Amino acid sequence: MSIFFDISLLHLTMLMMAPLIIACLGETIIERSGILNVGIEGIVTLGAVTGFLLTYYTGSAVVGCLFAALSGSLLTLLLAYFSITLRANQIVIGLGIFVLGLGISPTIYRLAVGVVKSIPQVPTLSEIKVPVLSIIPFVGEIFFNQNGLVYLSYFLVAAVSFFLFKTPMGLRLRACGENPRAADTVGINVARMRYGACAAGGLFLGVAGAYLPLVISGSYTDNIVNGRGWLALMLVIFGRWVPLWSFVGALLFAYVDAFQFKISVLPQFAKIIPPQFLLMLPYIFAMIVLVQVAKGSEGPRALARPYDREIRD
Amino acid sequence: MKNKWTRRLLFATAMFVTLWLAVPGIPGRAVAAKAHKFAIVLPGPIEDADYNFRGYQVSQDIKKRFAIATSYSERISPADAERVAREYIASGYTIIGFHGGQYIRIVKKLAPKFPKVNFIMESSGKGKVPENVWNIHRHFSEGFYPFGVLAGLATKTNKVGVIAGIQLPDFKASINTISDALKVTNPKAELLFAFTGNQNDPVKARQTADAMIANGVDFIINMVNLGVYGVVEAAKKAKHKVLVTTFYTDKTDKAPKHFAGTLIVDFRPPFAKAVGEILKGNRTGYVPMRPGNGFELKSLGNVSAEAIAKTKAAYEKVRTGSIKLRLEMKKVRLAK
Repeated sequence: MSIFFDISLLHLTMLMMAPLIIACLGETIIERSGILNVGIEGIVTLGAVTGFLLTYYTGSAVVGCLFAALSGSLLTLLLAYFSITLRANQIVIGLGIFVLGLGISPTIYRLAVGVVKSIPQVPTLSEIKVPVLSIIPFVGEIFFNQNGLVYLSYFLVAAVSFFLFKTPMGLRLRACGENPRAADTVGINVARMRYGACAAGGLFLGVAGAYLPLVISGSYTDNIVNGRGWLALMLVIFGRWVPLWSFVGALLFAYVDAFQFKISVLPQFAKIIPPQFLLMLPYIFAMIVLVQVAKGSEGPRALARPYDREIRD
Repeated sequence: MKNKWTRRLLFATAMFVTLWLAVPGIPGRAVAAKAHKFAIVLPGPIEDADYNFRGYQVSQDIKKRFAIATSYSERISPADAERVAREYIASGYTIIGFHGGQYIRIVKKLAPKFPKVNFIMESSGKGKVPENVWNIHRHFSEGFYPFGVLAGLATKTNKVGVIAGIQLPDFKASINTISDALKVTNPKAELLFAFTGNQNDPVKARQTADAMIANGVDFIINMVNLGVYGVVEAAKKAKHKVLVTTFYTDKTDKAPKHFAGTLIVDFRPPFAKAVGEILKGNRTGYVPMRPGNGFELKSLGNVSAEAIAKTKAAYEKVRTGSIKLRLEMKKVRLAK
């Protein structure tokens, strides 16, 4: 197989795609309701520390993921309270949530773990082979020999797509993001829908954070999210607020990211391409693609606008 | 009568206290009389059980060893370091240590402005420093050389990897000495190296390690700090046996079947030397931090007894200076 399509490269692509798409789906649900969540990086970081600590203390990754989801949801609800009830500027509040998440996470970790000579670790999730599908040559190893959260990400892409575009509730949610006044006039409780979207989307963000220590490193470090929350935010725009397109975007980004790591260790490339350039490659790619894709893309019309039925537009 | 004896007792006590404070020869008092205070600036969190923890240990050690007040500031970026140092100076701290080569410029800027304050910096060279600066020169390339020997003897695929974060001169020099060691012990072995751009991102380190392992590497020498946990996870998930090394603190308990050795990097001895000299009145100097002084090879395992013996022998040769190592810091030039 060529350097571009070997199994290990594509397997790694799927592994790194999962946290991006899970966060991206959460953000899509939130933004579809009309709330812009720029605090995503902080929320994902909180999910990472909560997921790690709960897994460490209970010995159960499921419990860790559940509490990570809960913590993500709670922090997103704080954003919702300021954005929906207090009608504050969503960008300002979002940035506040970002800083809060980034600040509170190491504090929680220090309170729980303290200063130690050896940091705590949890066993990372094992790969689960899907019967029959995993033995399909090439494809089986890439798609169906992954950990449980990668499978969850496949399921969530389908589930969120179905929810947003095939269910009455999804239609109402989108209506709140497009034209909250019209939604209000037909009896939809805009505030409740937006709160619900934030609570649900926050669950996804928390799980995306927990993915990193529970699958990749088995440990928590302050820097573990390292901009991946922002990438998910970008992928929402890349995917034009459509889960399936965001999935494609996450796949492409994860592929380019994995590819640059692959070629950076090959002597024939390492000699001629500076490592700094290779590290930039996924981001350059993302920017180029985003500039192309963003042309003509439109977000929900009421995105980032607080809704007040007493005020005329 | 009672009052007379009380007065005498009080007088005797006062005399004793005055003498105790005044006489510098009494242990512990020389320092207090001068009222030195030590502070150290750390780039990251002290709970990292790695580089910053080592810096935190320095402050604890100085406090215990010299009985002086100590303090530390963590998560200080180079942009904030000058402000933090100035705050310490304004609060009466007389010895300011900087944990990391990223602060050298700040030390060189502040030292002439505060001639009465003593500074301690870590660097990768024996350059000229101001007269109130102690320079701790970290010879990482000497510490990593034995790992090159170990890797050459332990690899079965003849592919050895080095994962570093930032392109520090220390790490480039270390990759060069590792490649020299490999050339001596196993000329067939190929050395692959990569810089992830971040010392503490386990995700990037994991991706790099996965890519190396997919390329046949079975021995990885770590030059990342917390990124090591990503590398260890990659080793655990690998389809072939992969061994890894680490540095700063011993992390063997995290993956006993995969760690082949640790380069313990303990900053307490060199800092203690510098502070001790400052307290004696020697305000500038140079402390080489190298095998035998801050560096120690530990927890060699998961390899043959012969490999362990040869690695220890190589370490001893470096420690005693019986072999001369290449010191090339500007560029990675693998041995041909």
